[in-house]
Amino acid sequence: MRKVFLAGALAALCFVHPAMAQETTVDHGEGLKPFPLFGSSRQVTSGTTFNPAISVIFDGKYYNDNVDGEAGEILEHADGFHGHHGDHEHGELSRGFNLGETELVFSASVDNYMDAFLNLAIESDGIEIEEAFGITRSLPGGLQLKFGKFFSGIGYQNDKHPHEWHFADQALAYQLLLGDHGLNDIGIQLTWLPELPVYTLVGVEAFQGTSEAISNVVDDAEEFGLRQRSGPRLFTGFLKVAPDLGFNHAMRAGLFGGVSRLHQEEHDDGVLQFLEGDTWFAGADLVYKYTSGKAYGMGNLVLQSEYIYREKDLELAFDDDPAKTLGASQDSNQDGFYIQGIYGFAPRWTAGARLDMVGLTNTVARDGVKTDYDDSRRYSAALTFNPTEFSRFRVQFNRGDIAVDGERERFNQVLLQYQLALGVHGAHKF
Amino acid sequence: MKPVLRKSVLILLVLMTLLVSAGTALAQVRVVATTTSMGMLARTVGGDAVEVTVLAPPDRDAHYLQARPSMMVELRRADLLVAVGAELEVGWLPAALQGAANPRILPGRLGYFEAAAQIPLLEGDGVADRALGDVHPMGNPHVNMDPLRMVQVARALADRLAAMQPQTAEIMRANAERFAGMVEARLGDWRSRVEGAPGIVLFHRDANYLMARLGVPILGYIEPLPGIPPSARHLQALVSELQGRKGVVVHIGHQPAQGPQFVGSTLGWPVFSLPLDPPLQADGEGYLKMIDLWVEAIAKGKG
Repeated sequence: MRKVFLAGALAALCFVHPAMAQETTVDHGEGLKPFPLFGSSRQVTSGTTFNPAISVIFDGKYYNDNVDGEAGEILEHADGFHGHHGDHEHGELSRGFNLGETELVFSASVDNYMDAFLNLAIESDGIEIEEAFGITRSLPGGLQLKFGKFFSGIGYQNDKHPHEWHFADQALAYQLLLGDHGLNDIGIQLTWLPELPVYTLVGVEAFQGTSEAISNVVDDAEEFGLRQRSGPRLFTGFLKVAPDLGFNHAMRAGLFGGVSRLHQEEHDDGVLQFLEGDTWFAGADLVYKYTSGKAYGMGNLVLQSEYIYREKDLELAFDDDPAKTLGASQDSNQDGFYIQGIYGFAPRWTAGARLDMVGLTNTVARDGVKTDYDDSRRYSAALTFNPTEFSRFRVQFNRGDIAVDGERERFNQVLLQYQLALGVHGAHKF
Repeated sequence: MKPVLRKSVLILLVLMTLLVSAGTALAQVRVVATTTSMGMLARTVGGDAVEVTVLAPPDRDAHYLQARPSMMVELRRADLLVAVGAELEVGWLPAALQGAANPRILPGRLGYFEAAAQIPLLEGDGVADRALGDVHPMGNPHVNMDPLRMVQVARALADRLAAMQPQTAEIMRANAERFAGMVEARLGDWRSRVEGAPGIVLFHRDANYLMARLGVPILGYIEPLPGIPPSARHLQALVSELQGRKGVVVHIGHQPAQGPQFVGSTLGWPVFSLPLDPPLQADGEGYLKMIDLWVEAIAKGKG
């Protein structure tokens, strides 16, 4: 596959580049080189050699929809999923030109034991540390330890940066069940790749628990008499298995899940309310890739699908209305999936289609009284042109069919996107 | 202890001893090679002392592979990784290495061997400007196309394998020398066959080492810049520049044939589709046969 994936890969940046840079300039075969007659004018310094590998990824979009720019708003009010969002809007696109996040990626080996990786997302309103972690490189037995802030290893799409997505926006199942950025938190991850004939990766993670959709913590909890609990509050695990299908085909299947020991939601529909409790989620992911071997990515195919189920067991912990009974339960069960395919129909061109569905299971039981909500859907089609591995232009069309207050709200969205990459050539993650 | 039990314990002990000794006797070095050229080298030099797996089949462009999980399985159990290097595999090998969690084969360790680091590279002018295409500032990575450089790499690889398995050191060095002998034996023949050949048009800068070695002029490239597909304007310019001259057009199987066919038919030159790497299980002989194909094609340019 020819994709622009400059930064994604820690490894490129950390493992190979510095070593290659140093080794290839050494003339092993021909013995020592004589000094140039008039002396070398090269500066002998380790200044640049020790600098981390750097890349920059630019992202911008033109956006429009047929609901006065409210499509993002409609999504946030999808039945069963509405509620816990604060008043800040993230990632919402204005109609017209939008500058997406500009990613700055630094990485290098810290020493012979560890590599470190930093990914800064610069947006108009500030800088966000998307990832900042250390990862071991010398543990025996196929073990790797990662620590810091990073994307959880659950699922397939979760640890992909926006420039590695096949569409201009995140899958709905991720956006509504795990949060806009998927599961991205501060914590520690241990993975184990046992020496088996079939690829099997086992991973466990402990996170502080600051993920908006499943392990949110209210800042001024004490003031409202809410529970306080020290971290780590979110624990996850995953298993990935991939059979060997030869040179042309590759497939990977995964199972994952997680438990959050604390989740707090603020609701403010005129009356301020806080709910708190715990949550858990589980899911499965499946990816299949075919590489045709033709030039410029023609004939390549990627099929991927993921399913996520989430349960929130909350109770009323604070209410401005004194008539309400504190401790009244609110249990929600929700799920979602997406399935998408990307095909290289011509050299440098890919076409993609995606179906998003959330709320196949969609119930909220308030004090034991169960309400069933409708599902919401989105249909997407994308056409992507990759002039080289370092640049990409995409046009995407979305058709949303969202359940809001029992009604169907429908919208169309058009996105034009560019992504450009500067710097070191990152490796393409599977 | 009952006699039967004692007997079975004894048999078990004998079996275990046998297994352990068999294990040490057959302790092959598990080599993972990125391309079939590197696999060929490992097989030629290592002989019975190595077990070789290849990650990229010969009909693929080693620039553009996917870091498949099955690669990580191979790398996880490898004792030695033999890569071409000079960033040829930069798009996928680092990701596969990272996923393999095998510290033995990381760059800088005994288990990491890069052909490009053993030899002087061509075109290593350090120009790192992607406006000039998908450039390799460290130098042209397609070193496998120079049989003499491959001899140097084979000797270095023999040293490396000898360091990993000292008891077979002499055999491996002898194997490398045998390969050197095979190359030397053909070099004169190759040179005389391409003597006076007018030159070659390549698709990509992937056979430059062979042309430099045999003294064959490269008359042009089908792609306007490395990694950029040919445009009609570039092909027209190429054709008008080469009008009236003689030569051959060669492209690799995975490169599109339209551009080379257009240039070949317009100029009246023969067009060949040739491999850049030998077959999957090739030995030294298989590699030299591949170079033979190139020599034969270049010689056709004499008309």
